[in-house]
Amino acid sequence: METSLSFVLQAIANGLAMGGLYILVALGLTLILSIMGILQLAHGEIYMIGAYLVYYLTSSLGISLYIAILISMGAMGLIGLVLERGIFRPCKGDFLSVITVAIALTLILRSYAVAQFGLFERTVPKLASGSLVFFGVAVPKDRFVAMLIAAAMSVALYLFLKMTRYGQAMFACAQNPEGARLRGINPDLISPMAMMIGCALAAAGGAIAGSIWMLTPTMGTLPLVKGLIIIVIGGMGSLSGAIVAGIFLGLMDGIIPVFFGPVVTSIAPLVIVVLILLVKPQGLFGHG
Amino acid sequence: MLFQVKNLVVRYEGAEILKGISLEMEEGEIITLIGNNGAGKTTALRAISGLKSPHSGEILFRGQRIDNLLPQDIVKRGISQVPEGRALFPHMSVSENIRISGFLRNDKQGIKEDLDRIYDSFPVLKERSAQRASTLSGGEQQMLAIAMALMARPTLLLLDEPSTGLSPKMVTEIGRVIYNIHKSGTSVLLVEQNANLALSLAQRGYAIETGKIVLSGFAGELKKSEHVKRAYLGQ
Ligand SMILES: Nc1ncnc2c1ncn2[C@@H]1O[C@H](COP(=O)(O)OP(=O)(O)O)[C@@H](O)[C@H]1O
Ligand SMILES: [Mg+2]
Repeated sequence: METSLSFVLQAIANGLAMGGLYILVALGLTLILSIMGILQLAHGEIYMIGAYLVYYLTSSLGISLYIAILISMGAMGLIGLVLERGIFRPCKGDFLSVITVAIALTLILRSYAVAQFGLFERTVPKLASGSLVFFGVAVPKDRFVAMLIAAAMSVALYLFLKMTRYGQAMFACAQNPEGARLRGINPDLISPMAMMIGCALAAAGGAIAGSIWMLTPTMGTLPLVKGLIIIVIGGMGSLSGAIVAGIFLGLMDGIIPVFFGPVVTSIAPLVIVVLILLVKPQGLFGHG
Repeated sequence: MLFQVKNLVVRYEGAEILKGISLEMEEGEIITLIGNNGAGKTTALRAISGLKSPHSGEILFRGQRIDNLLPQDIVKRGISQVPEGRALFPHMSVSENIRISGFLRNDKQGIKEDLDRIYDSFPVLKERSAQRASTLSGGEQQMLAIAMALMARPTLLLLDEPSTGLSPKMVTEIGRVIYNIHKSGTSVLLVEQNANLALSLAQRGYAIETGKIVLSGFAGELKKSEHVKRAYLGQ
């Protein structure tokens, strides 16, 4: 009895932490997709490079973890700017070019990580040490810090989009690009912002994942896939949808492996996606 | 001369949609461009607003070429469009739609005053200020679209078929709104299929057929023209 309660609580904490990471990735993906109209398939690699940058900053330069995360977010934001201007803007509107470029970028960044850091798993310092005790069960504190960071960033993004002129301009561009241009909103100003914010959020997600679990050059694949599923379940361009779907997927990923084998674990989320889409083709929070 | 279009040619995929149209207006005028479906009216407005670059010809505003400018720079110069289909931001609230339309402005106080003025002239928008734009009726959406274009404080307002899809009562209401906008000092270029409404509001008019201006003159004269009666007024 003791052990099973402990398993469940740990699974929930793990799931919520994972959900938080998925949300950070999905928010960026959905922002980039709805504003720039591109599927950024290399977004998981931004997450991975963001994590390795934190590893480098903490292990080689001795910078403290939280400062390193902020630096990595800033650096990845800048890389986002460069990618938007140099790669994605020139192939705007050409679906095949965007996909090709994104896959090329994935291969390049992943090979770079392998060459630079090797295939060994690396770790960065913990977000927090020690545990919190619930019903006599100890749950590692870093899971809660991860949830808090993801929640704080989601709220900050929401406030930015809702309360500021540039945030509103992003909504406008996403909902009616040509209407936005007629109101004087320049997409070449708004798209880089979307890319920058998306990449910074991904870097934060990668760093947190690296701190809770570990770093590998392929660590970006899972959150990318989860991010895409979240966009589909939550509804295209819906922030609240992404958050609800992210928590849901994270919890499933945390809890299902405790009770079921690996087959169910990997199939269940997809089955649920299919069921949701059968009932609501536009996603849970999608607009018509 | 406030505004001038000279020999404007616009092509889509090689097809010449506008075959060299010219029109002009003085400051404070209200003019109309009438024409049937597919004549090229929307294409002309898209070119003026910078959404579609012309193949050749010139567009001048206050004597300066604007045909190579980006949409936001054209808005900054004082030309604002109420496009066909209204182009609202459907999932944003009515007040968010209006506020974001002042994107290029930095005068917070002025934006606030304009918002109040808009709510005075369109009480229904005030009532619905917290609703999503997509929940408005057709007439209300058209009011919102006009309010949004006004947030740029335009010298020249372009309207693309504002009466389309509205009930006769609503058409009269929109007509009154356009009349008031012009009376308050804004120059207006009204594009319409509804020649009746257009020629009763406008001082002068142009008729466009398959990309060419075929007639122009004072509204009163156009109304009496046999061609206009036959082609546009259904008489
Ligand atoms: N984006 C486009 N691509 C190709 N052809 C277009 C496009 N937009 C308009 N056209 C063509 O240009 C012609 C004029 O269209 P439009 O300017 O919308 O006419 P109107 O507004 O007078 O009804 C039509 O024959 C239409 O098919
Ligand atoms: Mg038209």
